[in-house]
Amino acid sequence: MRELSYAEALREGMRMAMEKDSSVFVIGEDIGVYGGAFGVTAGLIDQFGPERVIDTPISEAGIAGACVGAAVTGMRPIGEMQFSDFVVLAMEQLTLQAAKMRFMFGGKATVPMVMRLASGSGTGAAAQHSASLEAWFVNVPGLKVVMPSTPQDAKGLLLASIYDNNPVIFIEHKLLYKMKGPVPEEWYTTPLSQSMVVREGKHLTVVATSVEVIRAQQAADILAKEGIEIEIIDPRTLRPLDLDPIVRSVIKTGKVLIVHEAVKMGGFGGEIAAQIAESKAFDYLDAPIRRLAGLDMPIPYNRILESHAVPQIENIVEEARKLVKGVY
Amino acid sequence: MKEVIMPKFGFTQEVSEIVEWRVKEGDQVEAGDILAEVTTDKISMEVEAPEGGIVSGIRYKAGEIVPVTEIIAYILRPGESLPADREASSSNSRDNIRDAVVAEAPLADSKGMVMPGKLTPLAARVAADRGLDALNIVGSGPGGRVTRMDVEQFSAQTSGNGKLPATPAAKRLARETGIALGLVKGLGPNGRIQAADVRAFSESKIPKILTTPETGTLVQNRGMRTIPFTGMRKAIAMNMAFSAQTIPAIQLEIDIDMEKTLALWEQAKSHAADKKVSLTALIVKTAAWALTRHPILNSQLGQNEIMLLPEVNIGLAVAIESGLIVPVIRQTDRKGILELAEGINDVTQRARQSKLRGSDLEGATFTISNLGMFGIDRFTAIINPPQVGILAVSAVKKRFVGNELGEPVLHNMMNMRLSTDHRVVDGAEAARFLSDLRAVLENPEEMLL
Amino acid sequence: MEDALRQTKTEKSRSGVFTNEKALELIDAMLLIRSFEENAEEMYARGKVHGTMHLSIGQEGVAVGTASALCPKHDYLLNVHRGHGHFLAWGGDLNRMMAEFMGRETGYCRGRGGSMHIADVEANNLGAQGIVAGNMPISIGVGLSIKARHTDQIALCIFGDGASNEGAFHESLNMASIWKLPVIYLCENNVYAMSMPIKKAINIEHISQRAAAYGMPGVTIDGNDVVQVYETIKSAAEYTRSGKGPYLVEVETYRWKGHSKSDKQAYRTRDEVKEWMARDPILRFAKLAGLSNEDLEQRRSLSREKIKKAVEFAESSPEPDVKDILEGVYA
Repeated sequence: MRELSYAEALREGMRMAMEKDSSVFVIGEDIGVYGGAFGVTAGLIDQFGPERVIDTPISEAGIAGACVGAAVTGMRPIGEMQFSDFVVLAMEQLTLQAAKMRFMFGGKATVPMVMRLASGSGTGAAAQHSASLEAWFVNVPGLKVVMPSTPQDAKGLLLASIYDNNPVIFIEHKLLYKMKGPVPEEWYTTPLSQSMVVREGKHLTVVATSVEVIRAQQAADILAKEGIEIEIIDPRTLRPLDLDPIVRSVIKTGKVLIVHEAVKMGGFGGEIAAQIAESKAFDYLDAPIRRLAGLDMPIPYNRILESHAVPQIENIVEEARKLVKGVY
Repeated sequence: MKEVIMPKFGFTQEVSEIVEWRVKEGDQVEAGDILAEVTTDKISMEVEAPEGGIVSGIRYKAGEIVPVTEIIAYILRPGESLPADREASSSNSRDNIRDAVVAEAPLADSKGMVMPGKLTPLAARVAADRGLDALNIVGSGPGGRVTRMDVEQFSAQTSGNGKLPATPAAKRLARETGIALGLVKGLGPNGRIQAADVRAFSESKIPKILTTPETGTLVQNRGMRTIPFTGMRKAIAMNMAFSAQTIPAIQLEIDIDMEKTLALWEQAKSHAADKKVSLTALIVKTAAWALTRHPILNSQLGQNEIMLLPEVNIGLAVAIESGLIVPVIRQTDRKGILELAEGINDVTQRARQSKLRGSDLEGATFTISNLGMFGIDRFTAIINPPQVGILAVSAVKKRFVGNELGEPVLHNMMNMRLSTDHRVVDGAEAARFLSDLRAVLENPEEMLL
Repeated sequence: MEDALRQTKTEKSRSGVFTNEKALELIDAMLLIRSFEENAEEMYARGKVHGTMHLSIGQEGVAVGTASALCPKHDYLLNVHRGHGHFLAWGGDLNRMMAEFMGRETGYCRGRGGSMHIADVEANNLGAQGIVAGNMPISIGVGLSIKARHTDQIALCIFGDGASNEGAFHESLNMASIWKLPVIYLCENNVYAMSMPIKKAINIEHISQRAAAYGMPGVTIDGNDVVQVYETIKSAAEYTRSGKGPYLVEVETYRWKGHSKSDKQAYRTRDEVKEWMARDPILRFAKLAGLSNEDLEQRRSLSREKIKKAVEFAESSPEPDVKDILEGVYA
């Protein structure tokens, strides 16, 4: 299978949707002529013109509102927040309008929009350009929250999100944009709310999201040499969550480590830990549920500090070793 | 005045037994003279006089087991007298002796099942003071008795709150395999019991020879079906294997003329409210009677003693779908046939409906296994430790026997075969038991005499 | 783009604008709103309505004048929280509205939205709005959608004087202007944003001046003059429908009642209220239409009858079933 980068896969998904369906359009800052801050939308304006690849002034509330208004009147807009951090300026439209419209109107409105967020740390962009905010949206009923970790999932989940009739917050990771991987050429959708067992193992279940899935896989290779086999599960959709594969895995291994980049306190990992403890996997836990997550601080500028602020491969290796060896 | 204390010779030594006093009360000794010979773990040692003087206030006799560092005697100088409070400490140490920890793994209850209520008075007091649930404490004393040391240990293990730190997986495993968590040593952080620890404990009970051999390839047949070998089935199996491997058992059998018992059975049935009385009820009745006359068969082997148990609780082996289960009829020696029949019907029914409670399965002192309904002529049953005997009862069949005139007559005959732990029950005793049993089955009225 | 002044000529040439029939229609429409709101107030006082409501008594002229100049149900309505009048003028069904206020299953939103979120999406009524200026960014999307589909629809985006200070107001007017979106921004300046008088909240004379900042036309008119409202919106619609871009219309009006039901109105004088009540849009227009007092009162009674029937319908409607509680969260 041919390989595409994560960014290319996203672009291909958008392109295929726009080719097939005139109700799909893209809107955001610098996405047209500039091609997007991370190059994701490069070339789209040449193919589809400025009416469907809309460059906006710096008006995040306006961008989000534009998506809501277009969606509720029959279109399928794909909005972009140049850096996930900026989504806070659009929170009103996303959480009070998009998320709630359908319910408030007695189930009679549909808001089929996607808001893409360029998220995460590791590029030295520091405290206001490196956020991981998925937990904020997971707490809002009416929204769906998706986090692809591979190019194949990026394209498939994006197409699925565009055609899901609910507002979807689509969280991409900056460090993954250049990562290459196999991507099918045809039109396909990867189902939302379907967790994937990325790697099988018997000693420990590792639940990871976004870039941490990639780091967990590299950790797994290192651990395998020591005879420790970890099972990695990528939920892919955080809300609504497909808990079942995680429960089955924990029943099998008895131990679980949850890894995400966002700050630990109030992070999504706490939600997964609680759901595991509330499930039938509880009787099979042979160690406390552990989380590896971002430190309790804003992302710092200095490279070394930045790297320490979020879980890296060696952190996963060490934590996995400790859990398997019964340190906790 | 100098105290003579029981010395500690080894790191783990906790007690010593006084083999022999070499001096007596009032003897004059010099420093270094041998006062007594003591032994521990088969190692003999001598206790020397710490200084010269008169031997006084000897507190323990030969044969007594004394905790180390305990005062065993005093050396007095002329004019000195014994301390006034030694009586008080002495009675304390009497308790200590009774509670003396025998530093070996408990032998009595190999299934690891806790027998509630078996606490020494001191242990009970300490447990109550600390608010600990004695049910969870496993005893290392004779017959599984819980000693004060056990209580202390349990308290330490549970950080004083009586709750055992164990992972959910460990608890589940212990539940499923019938293991008391208190017996398992937790190797996790802060002494937490993990699943592996439970597994290790249950496997350690079984000699290695019993695990399936790793040699050869497993034959895989198409269409092969599997039955799970886990949980209760596995626990019972392991116990049986343990029994077969470690208990030197002897079997004695006897053929019994059942005519009179069968007549009595008819009578019993007509008296019963629901007309349902199993023949087993009569067998249980007579067995209970015989056991009270031969208490050695209703006993348990402890470390240094054989405990003759006060109650005759008979376990009845019942076949259910998932295998074998042995519900217990309590105090069989105190119940009449009709009452026993009711009890037997009840547990048998509940066993078949999988509605037995944990208490139904605990506390048996002897077991009866009846395969008569399958027409079996004779068979051998496996002893259920910590019991010392099991009675295998076979079918009643008409056989030819000789009457007083030597003529062949067809009588209803039934075979009974006793398996018994030869370490506890010798052949003669077993024979006497069976003989009495036959006597009372062949002439039930003898139970009244 | 000058400030529009109150035109006295409209008070003279009513026949030039409306036929008799149409005039009576408009009066009935305003009376319906008036009666509806008065009834709502009473129901609330009696504890029959839960939560709060924002009454538009005194602003009927705006609602009716605007709706009659546009094509309700073809055009989109992005309503404001004080939106009962607009909803009715847009063709709202009395029964379903009343039922919604009483939280019943038969309401427009199955009792889930209430007064502040009442909507009829199928009729292009995209709902009242609980967030001040919350509908303004949405108007951008609706405008883009209309353009993409090449229809002649308009989005009517209604908001108050207070909303003109929200960031979303500025983002929206700017985007609508640069992309020439077919949106009429109707600012109901009723002098107060809750308790904040508009004069203290802006440092300009009229809100409509802000349109210039975004390169789009803006006018200020007397919102209680139905004819003027009608004519202004009509020409704004023409402008907008022709693809020239958005239009800001500021109507000066006044709410007779407090902001919401828990308003003690300490921020204004009774005299001020009385002054504005004298400029009652209904009375003014009735006079213009040559309607006698008796006729007016008769029509008023008829409207009250209709309201009564709606109340009966609502009161006899079922509450939502708790077992359906999660319905409508996701599509």
